[in-house]
Amino acid sequence: MASSDGGPAMRPEFQRQIPNAAGVLLILFFALFPLVYTGGNYDYVMHVLITAFFYAILSASWSMLAGYAGQFSFGHMAFMAIGAYTAALFGHYFWITGEATGLCREIPFFGNWLVVVNPIGVTSTTLDQDCLRQAMTAWDGSVSVTRMPIWLGIVLGTLMGGLAGFLVGILVLRLRAAYLALFTLGFSEIVKAVISAEIDITRGQAGMELPPLFPDGVTLFGQAFGPTDKIPPYYAMFGLLLLCLAILTWLARSRFGLFVRALREDQDAAAALGVNTTRYKVVVFTITCAMAATAGAVQAHYVQIVTPNMLFLLQMSLVVAMAVIGGIENFVAAALGAIFLQIMLEVLRTSFTIGGVEVDMTTWRLVFFGLLLMVTLRFFRNGLIAPLIDRFRRAGVAAETVEKRTATLTGPGGGPHRADAAEVPE
Amino acid sequence: MIHLQVNRLEKRFGGNHALKGVTFEVKGPELIGVLGPNGAGKTTMTNILDGAITPSSGTVYLNEHRIDQLQPYQVARAGLGRTFQVTRSFRRMTVLENLYVPALALGHAQGKAALRAQAMEVLEFLTIDHLRNEYARALSGGQQKLLELGRLLMLDPDVIVLDEPFAGVHPKLMEVIYAYIRRVNAAGKAILLISHQMDAIFALSQRLLVLNFGELIADGPPDVVKNDPAVIEAYLGAEEPAK
Amino acid sequence: METPGIFWGVIGWMIAWGIAGSLLLRQRYFARDLDTTNAGFVGAMAGAALGPVALIALWARTPQLTGRIIVGVTLLAVVLIAAAFAFADPQNNCVSNGEFVASQITNGLIIGIIYGFMALGLTLIFSILGVVSFAHGEFYMIGGMLVYYLTAVWLPGLNPLAAVVAACAIAMLIGATFERLMLTPMYHGRVDRPVEYGILATFGLAFTLQYLVQALHGASPVKAQRFIDFPRWEWPAEAAAPLVQTRRGSIEFFDLVTISNPRFVAAVTCILVLLALLFFLHRTWQGRALRAVAQDREAAAIAGIDPDKMNMLAFALGGMIAALAGALLVQAFSWLPQVGAIPAMRSFVIVVLGGLGSLPGAFIGGILVGLVEAAGTGCIPNAQKAASYIPAYGMIVLTLTLLLRPTGLFGRRFAGGAHGQF
Repeated sequence: MASSDGGPAMRPEFQRQIPNAAGVLLILFFALFPLVYTGGNYDYVMHVLITAFFYAILSASWSMLAGYAGQFSFGHMAFMAIGAYTAALFGHYFWITGEATGLCREIPFFGNWLVVVNPIGVTSTTLDQDCLRQAMTAWDGSVSVTRMPIWLGIVLGTLMGGLAGFLVGILVLRLRAAYLALFTLGFSEIVKAVISAEIDITRGQAGMELPPLFPDGVTLFGQAFGPTDKIPPYYAMFGLLLLCLAILTWLARSRFGLFVRALREDQDAAAALGVNTTRYKVVVFTITCAMAATAGAVQAHYVQIVTPNMLFLLQMSLVVAMAVIGGIENFVAAALGAIFLQIMLEVLRTSFTIGGVEVDMTTWRLVFFGLLLMVTLRFFRNGLIAPLIDRFRRAGVAAETVEKRTATLTGPGGGPHRADAAEVPE
Repeated sequence: MIHLQVNRLEKRFGGNHALKGVTFEVKGPELIGVLGPNGAGKTTMTNILDGAITPSSGTVYLNEHRIDQLQPYQVARAGLGRTFQVTRSFRRMTVLENLYVPALALGHAQGKAALRAQAMEVLEFLTIDHLRNEYARALSGGQQKLLELGRLLMLDPDVIVLDEPFAGVHPKLMEVIYAYIRRVNAAGKAILLISHQMDAIFALSQRLLVLNFGELIADGPPDVVKNDPAVIEAYLGAEEPAK
Repeated sequence: METPGIFWGVIGWMIAWGIAGSLLLRQRYFARDLDTTNAGFVGAMAGAALGPVALIALWARTPQLTGRIIVGVTLLAVVLIAAAFAFADPQNNCVSNGEFVASQITNGLIIGIIYGFMALGLTLIFSILGVVSFAHGEFYMIGGMLVYYLTAVWLPGLNPLAAVVAACAIAMLIGATFERLMLTPMYHGRVDRPVEYGILATFGLAFTLQYLVQALHGASPVKAQRFIDFPRWEWPAEAAAPLVQTRRGSIEFFDLVTISNPRFVAAVTCILVLLALLFFLHRTWQGRALRAVAQDREAAAIAGIDPDKMNMLAFALGGMIAALAGALLVQAFSWLPQVGAIPAMRSFVIVVLGGLGSLPGAFIGGILVGLVEAAGTGCIPNAQKAASYIPAYGMIVLTLTLLLRPTGLFGRRFAGGAHGQF
């Protein structure tokens, strides 16, 4: 790879700044987009982008886990679901009331009552209501009933996801490659089965409803937004994405990033050089799973329902494919790949008719997606976006190597003892 | 003062008795060659010293700390570093990043600039400084070997175990590795040099250990060991000529 | 359940001693310099089955842990769980109703044979290529779909046998093509992490195949006609309760268990093909070459075998095996593009249980999983919960196996993700 590709006029120092500049531009673009977009289907476009950001968080955190640390986990969606269900269960079962219900389990709570609602599962009759509903019917609006703060549910979801990631991280320490993939897939299936089966608590396939992200509306830039407006969740998800990317960047640039890459490359060698491989493996599981859980909890509040179907292998396939197509070893590329592909998947949804045959694009787009995944794997092993970034970042490295080598070979310090004098690098 | 004590080290793998009571001591910056035919227990001993496997019995003390039950990373921090028989560089990290790993793992608080300066010094000594920003996988086999030695310099251990550092190395690179070993030794490190290459071992070492079938059959200066009848019979004899 | 206290008490006792046994015995064998590969597993099972008695005996004598001991203590533990269950819930169908038990066991065996057969294909691929094929379920689905389309849509009236053979041939072709196009870079160090590359590549194939079929076919379930009708037949003839009795759509043994025709045909065919496969692997040059490559790739190459050809053969064969299972079962189950997910998951469980790369392990593991599933479906009092938890049983077994013995029950210890052996 000769450095002259980039054009002789571009200095390497300048080229290396291009990805940063592009990043700033992209952030500005997405930050301003909801304010300047005036095209049709405003809510739909916003929805597509929010979903894209959601997948971007999953894809970026998975690329940290699989691409940076080399832990090919196929259970990432399980942690996402743990976050989502923690938020849902917490919001569903915990309430604060002004007076004791006398029906539920409850404890005094700073002058109010913390009520734990009894699980009733999915019932067809309205007679079997949970204890709080019964109490509320009796009170007839005379007593204040408050739900738990949304943010608390999200924080709890994050903690639960992190805890689950921590435990799984410990369990898979001894497993490598194929076994790790199977174990995490198995974990994901178990989580799915538990959620589907414990209908009393999780309502099974019926799913659990959640309040919107901002149930009482919110005021942004001096403008009031209702609970169903798209702009607040857009900025919430976008902010979360930026936060996750910032944390990942910080981790990748610190010694943590160096060590997890070393343990990906050669665990034994890293240990022999003093790296506590056990600790870093567990930590990388904990952090990335917590991120997936946060994304899951926020997304759950945004779409206002969680079902076990979020654990279908298809969802995991999407995240994996997005990360691979973007570039598995670069989480920014993985996030961009996710945003780009999610938008493409929506654009390609439109079915069309050729010569009387209707082409159902809702399915065909996924076929193309699979083919794109395979082609990328086969011919662009670092993804489609990561090599672009890498090319600018590493501009001038090859030239520098050649230049230095020539200088030392001919210069006073050079000579036949130079290590590579007789060898051509592979 | 460097002090490595290996006491009655035993290791069994099922029915295979790989090490039978190996005992020796290293005091100060010695340069010790370890010889032995294939299957003599050299690699097993290296792996035990490094903490990759635990001995069946026996102890290893490094500077009066017991290290035979520690994890490899703890052994590395205690001051024993090793290379691997097959080169194991971090292939998709740059040369400089390869060197930063051990330095940062030890947690010596030092600035970025100091770290980089130290790494550049190591690279210059190993004559691969021009490759500093290349990925390790772009390096030739011999250069990767040098890189591995460079990582050890950054780890800065008291005792260095080199497992076949000359295997598959270009003759011109041998000189660089010779110089490396001498310099590191002169800087006050003890070195255990495991190799099949008799000429290299005899040229470098001040003391020789000879293993055969898991037993330490000789321990002494090269001239004496060379003429030891047990060694001649076991190793230097006509039946198994050295490569 | 009448007295759940008894059941959960026994389970708790077993788990406690199992954990204790697993930890203690591993330590003991380690301290005595004995092979610790099986110590943890045997300790867990012996502790669970016999409690402190067995542990003290094992602790004192530290016998060599042969296959017989492993199987023995495992069976004991299973028997104990069953006994506790029987005591706790005497009214349960699978305790009081012998006919029900017999039919559950038969069902479990039949489905287990088919699972085991599929897992065989997976393990064949793994032992040669070192890759877990995530597209295994899609080959199964393709096999069934092809038979349906061949016999019902494209060539109505086609002999089902010809359709099955054609489906297998097409699956082999897909497998071989995919291997040539996608997997060749991983063999010669051109990919940094070949195992992960293989997993992702097969993952991509699975995704593509599944949606390709969905796009072409749609999402409606289909089912093929029964391949053959059994003749009416009894043995011994004219007996009041014949030992074997056939009707057009089913076969009955001992006047007790009835197996439906499609399932019986599928299971018998699987066993026949398994025997043919064993013959191929042990008695033909190609098969021996395959086994040689599985054991030592480089040595095989020196001996004049082209390992790359063997990779292609293994992947094609593995795909064909899955397709055959699907082709045989399309007459028994209704078929959807997503139908491959469940057998694929089962195959993963089975190969891990049996040890990745072990052929007999895969088959025995398949039967085990089939039986466990039948027991779970038949015995758990809450039917709805049982149905939801079925996918999880195998996975729980899988995760436990990986924790107790990371190389599976019958697998040899080999370096991370490398090749196994037959």
